[in-house]
Amino acid sequence: MFDATSQPTGSDGTSPFEKERSSSFLKLVDTTKHFGGLPAVDRLSFSVRRGDILGIIGPNGAGKSTIVNLISGALPLTSGSIYYQGRDISSLLTNRRVYLGIARVFQITKPFMDLDVRQNVLVGALFGRHRMVRSAALRMADELLEEVGLAHKAHFKGDQLTIADLKRLELARALATGPQLLLLDEVMAGLTSTEVMEAVELIRKINDMGITIIVIEHIMQAIKSVSDRILVLHHGRQIAEGQPETVLSDPKVIETYLGKRYAQQYKRPEQVNGSSLDENTQSQI
Amino acid sequence: MTTNIGQLARVTKPLPKQTKERRTWLWSLLIGLAILAAIATVPAYGNAALLHTWTWIVMVIVLAQSWNFIGGYTGYAAFGNVAFFGIGSYSVGLLVLAGLPFWVGLIVGGIIAGVFALLIGLPVLRLKGHYFAIATLGTAEALREFVEVKDIGGGGGGLMSLPLPGLNAYTIVFYAFISLSVICLFITAVLVRSKFGYALIAIRENEQAAEALGIHTYWYKVGAFVLSAVPTALAGGLYAYWATGFDPGTVFDRSISVEIVLLTFLGGTGTILGPIIGGILFETASFQFQTSGLSLHNTLLGFSIIVVTIILPQGLIRLLQEFTRKSAPDLTAVNRFMEGLQRVRRYITANGI
Repeated sequence: MFDATSQPTGSDGTSPFEKERSSSFLKLVDTTKHFGGLPAVDRLSFSVRRGDILGIIGPNGAGKSTIVNLISGALPLTSGSIYYQGRDISSLLTNRRVYLGIARVFQITKPFMDLDVRQNVLVGALFGRHRMVRSAALRMADELLEEVGLAHKAHFKGDQLTIADLKRLELARALATGPQLLLLDEVMAGLTSTEVMEAVELIRKINDMGITIIVIEHIMQAIKSVSDRILVLHHGRQIAEGQPETVLSDPKVIETYLGKRYAQQYKRPEQVNGSSLDENTQSQI
Repeated sequence: MTTNIGQLARVTKPLPKQTKERRTWLWSLLIGLAILAAIATVPAYGNAALLHTWTWIVMVIVLAQSWNFIGGYTGYAAFGNVAFFGIGSYSVGLLVLAGLPFWVGLIVGGIIAGVFALLIGLPVLRLKGHYFAIATLGTAEALREFVEVKDIGGGGGGLMSLPLPGLNAYTIVFYAFISLSVICLFITAVLVRSKFGYALIAIRENEQAAEALGIHTYWYKVGAFVLSAVPTALAGGLYAYWATGFDPGTVFDRSISVEIVLLTFLGGTGTILGPIIGGILFETASFQFQTSGLSLHNTLLGFSIIVVTIILPQGLIRLLQEFTRKSAPDLTAVNRFMEGLQRVRRYITANGI
């Protein structure tokens, strides 16, 4: 719907190849969200291509979770608009957006404690995009639990699960809604390094199913390895966007995370050898 | 690490893919039917006072069962359900006085209460928590005032000596209440396994997450409110038939609203059996206190409510569920029992005291 003439700002969509691919699966135009006088997201514009994994990073309070809340419809926009598959969804209710294929995973897991794991996933299948009948929904729930590795705990309740399992449950529940766009808000927070590796694996698997994903994460190694592109936010504004390697070695990004001194320190080696800088940055971050 | 162990367990001991679902709902339904069947034998004793008591208890059970839809399953503490009760009573009273048969008044009362719940629910269900509770309480009070001030059906004096059988039809009224309770029981049992029921439970457990899974929470809440209103109004209509006379203070009595909330909490909110068990226990205790000659009736009742809420945070049924909850499959019976006790203890300390 949105052709190359209405390319979102901030995207380096100049090459013809780029233009062709960016059919703007999801596009945010000048989205702004104020909490009182505080702008949590400030005239932010970016777009996500179909099938991509976009990583969003930024220091605490950068507005990452707010973006997820805006896209999923949990919070109303102050101004700007959000286009999903060419359609303006800015004023749609959350449940309508789920119906269109936008699912989210909460940063703080919110299981339905009184329902067991299987029933939790069942709710997603019953009400999501496909609005399944009970028998089909149950089958899907079982499949998804197998997929995320929770099948052996299908009859457990929320308070019997570990953090990692709760995250799996959140993921399975979101997948049960049949999403085309999945918003992952810090799914890896609080996981051990083994679990993080498993989560990265799982995210890739989900992406391979053809689901576009936006990942918000603090764990650099994980987000670097999983994302096709990375967007860096600071005070609700975009400060960098592009390939993971390029973005993470951007002096502006280093400055945001580690302060000006580090950024200056690394400016010189960057001109000599980009890759050595990259490793340094990684260890610092 | 946990998952590795889990995967290992799956390799060594493959669990059947379609593990049997627990049929709590079926057991609850059967037990509920058995209890109501037992109560249904009361007229056989030929004791008028006993019949009166149990008619009242079953009526309260019906009220609690219908409150359970909005308060128990949806988790919205409605404190004004007596409004629907009053609507039911007044519909029957006014229409019977106008010369229409009783059942017309009953049906009209149900419809009016449903529509009223819809109209009130639309604004009120935008509120959450205490605000919702206060708003519903206010609605019921406002309705009572309206009836009194606007002189509807005799105003504050109420409707007296309606041309209804009343005393002569005690047994009929009793069985009518029993039938209504059985209907509510079936609705609840179907509800917990239905899509509608899952939506309500999801809203109660986490409204934000429910929305994020595609549930139009607002309309489901309104639906639950209407579902709660209609049987309440029917019970109100039956009450009019039974009492043959009432005033606004009786059928819009806010203590009824509070009582049904309390007794459902005692039995277990959001459970099939909770309202029935809670109703029987609460009302029998209440009658015991009343007839024991002590003027401390309300004090004792209040005190026991405090004790109950401390040691039974979500009711007897919840405690039982916690005890019978599925534990690891390879435990011996004794260990399973001990683990059940442990869970109950933990549950109380976590949710109560």
